[in-house]
Amino acid sequence: MPVGEREALTGLITMLIVVVLATFRLFDQHASGAFDGPDALQVWARSILILIGVSIAIAIAVSVLAHILEAVLTGERPDDRRDERDHLIERRALSWAWYLLSFGILAVIVDLAFGSSAFRALNLMLALCAGAELVKDGVKLILYRRGS
Amino acid sequence: MARIENRIRRLRFDAGEMTQKDLAERVGVTRQTLLAIENGKYAPTLELAFRIARTFGVGIDDVFTFHDE
Repeated sequence: MPVGEREALTGLITMLIVVVLATFRLFDQHASGAFDGPDALQVWARSILILIGVSIAIAIAVSVLAHILEAVLTGERPDDRRDERDHLIERRALSWAWYLLSFGILAVIVDLAFGSSAFRALNLMLALCAGAELVKDGVKLILYRRGS
Repeated sequence: MARIENRIRRLRFDAGEMTQKDLAERVGVTRQTLLAIENGKYAPTLELAFRIARTFGVGIDDVFTFHDE
């Protein structure tokens, strides 16, 4: 398996875990009224910083596990070289993620202009970042699987 | 639509049944990239195309043919 394909797969797994964790955590805080006070944005920001730290730890763990699993299944040391095709696939995937992020941010700004709260805008931005990451890894996986 | 065909499989066979892995290592790409090129799913850069041709000791035209349909 090319290194880019493995990274896309581990990225998707990591992001799905993080999205589930973040959703539960934020909904839980919302239900307990943590975001009702005047310091709602600070509470939100602290939660997100903790989630970023947790997601880095999850990414490292998933990556190491995938590396070990591939070595066990194939009986060979995984090939971590990147070539021109890996770079091309990376660029294509990044452009898809960039389109989503650009149009998404524009939509959030329009939403703000029509009276949406800053809190809602921040949550939408966060969801957009996660969505863009999922799209990037998903496109990469499709391109690798298609053979292009 | 443009299409690039190649004779890499034939050339590998003629070169003492060289494996995809061997050729990939010689030209500095992964086996998956070479597989994609052989199957016509990925068009290599000019540099890689020259490397492949040079490995077999032939011209680039003997490896790749361009069809503009």
